[in-house]
Amino acid sequence: MKFTIPIGPQHPALKEPISLRMTVEGEVIRDADIRLGYNHRGLEKLAEERTWIQNIYLTERICGICSHSHATCYVQGVEKLMEITPPKRGLYIRTLVAELERIHSHLLWLGVAGHEAGFDSFFMYTWRDREVVMDILEMISGNRVHYAINALGGVRRDIDELQKKNILDGLEVLKKRSEFYFKIGANEPTFVGRLANVGYLSKERAMELCAVGPTSRASGVARDVRRDDPYAAYDETPFDVCTADSCDVLGRTVVRIKELFESYKISKFLLKNLPAGDIAVKAPRKAKPNEVLSRYEAPRGENMHYIKSNGTDKPERLKVRAPTLANYPATVEMLKNGFIADIPLIFAAIDPCICCAERTVELRDARTGEEKILRFSELRKLADERHKNCPTKRNAEWPF
Amino acid sequence: MTDQELVEKLKNLLGDKIAEISNPALRRIFLKVEPRNLVPAVAVLKKDLNIWYLATITGVDLGDAFEILYHFGHDHGSLSLRTQILKAEPRIESISPTIPGAVLYERELQDMFGIIVNHIPDPRPLVVPDDWPEGNFPLRKEWKYERPAETIPGGKK
Repeated sequence: MKFTIPIGPQHPALKEPISLRMTVEGEVIRDADIRLGYNHRGLEKLAEERTWIQNIYLTERICGICSHSHATCYVQGVEKLMEITPPKRGLYIRTLVAELERIHSHLLWLGVAGHEAGFDSFFMYTWRDREVVMDILEMISGNRVHYAINALGGVRRDIDELQKKNILDGLEVLKKRSEFYFKIGANEPTFVGRLANVGYLSKERAMELCAVGPTSRASGVARDVRRDDPYAAYDETPFDVCTADSCDVLGRTVVRIKELFESYKISKFLLKNLPAGDIAVKAPRKAKPNEVLSRYEAPRGENMHYIKSNGTDKPERLKVRAPTLANYPATVEMLKNGFIADIPLIFAAIDPCICCAERTVELRDARTGEEKILRFSELRKLADERHKNCPTKRNAEWPF
Repeated sequence: MTDQELVEKLKNLLGDKIAEISNPALRRIFLKVEPRNLVPAVAVLKKDLNIWYLATITGVDLGDAFEILYHFGHDHGSLSLRTQILKAEPRIESISPTIPGAVLYERELQDMFGIIVNHIPDPRPLVVPDDWPEGNFPLRKEWKYERPAETIPGGKK
């Protein structure tokens, strides 16, 4: 006997609203379906009515965790359209903030993974240490979440010597703590036992379903935009692409912890080799008719913005592809033949960012659209019909 | 593999299927094909060039036509396959049989532009709500959003 259970759009196991429908047989998930649309904001349409500069503000608000990634992806595309090159120092600072953001996002994810696995002290430890990197980001940009560091043609704030020293000290603390987490991850049998062999995604399927980011790298696909298609200062920065072969949630955890160490390494390199000079150049108000494809490796995977200009101060088209959307088909694959109790863990393991994935259309009373297959009026019509045709209660007989 | 080598390879493999090929920036290749050559071209990309990763599908409203861009990523940059269809007859063949990960983007294309994707494995709406009025395609240029008049359920008419 199969049942379909709805999870979400509002559910205690989910941090953001999304509707999952699970077809279960006993405890085992046989099929999964993801319904989007609850959280839509009509951002791509809106972007066509905003100027190039206003859109920095808009793209930064696509996501509340990887806010810098969308803004950078957009800004570096527009810089190409406007044919300006930001100064080296600006690019280094932009990259530094990107790596610090990756650190905070991965620490946040580690906490969520610990929480979903029932290891709440791990969650509290990582989130406590995440404050260190949040403070660094606040020191650089003045903000904890939306850093607003990007400008067309460079960045808005410089880093001085004292800040540099403070950042390096903070990174040292974080590195020590991350080594401790790596040890816990490897040595705590309950934690490892909970994560191993959950949410299996083979390398072939990861490739077929076009998975991105740590999700695909944990399935042994060594893809990273920072290496394959370097942007900002990554072509001058040495780092390794982290992969794992276990294809499960444990692999995804290991990949993210390894990436933390890489991010510490990159941040240190950038700070020690920070070139002197200006941080920004002046950008024109308009862009010639052209098109550009901008790619960026966000903490969750590849961001892609396609921007088309038409000679005015507004874009003709801005297409945003966030990594979470790319990972949905893979998630459905991972959920199949898993257990109901694994849903939060598997779903959390792609590090979903619903607000990123859902950005395209106008939100129009999605409240009524979610759990209902028929429209209310049709449903009422059906109910009326059924009432007319059904035998009246008077004729009903008690069977015994 | 440099951009130039890839362009040469594409020219050899696709031959007269290519309507236009350009390399406007480092690691960016734009390739234009006729709509009827789209599915064979995608198959060639996957089979012969091992380009299996579709990043996304972009639709652009050009007025009386739609431009559809299939953005592929590979180990040395990205390749965008583009095609144009008439707005009067917005139909395109699905590439999901070749690239299974394309289905979400094709569904998004259907919702946003009203482009009908033939042979799509799962034609349900992806992002618009279930009671979205028919014939409303938000990313078409002529579409303007009007906030519906607020009604109180059970209130006075």
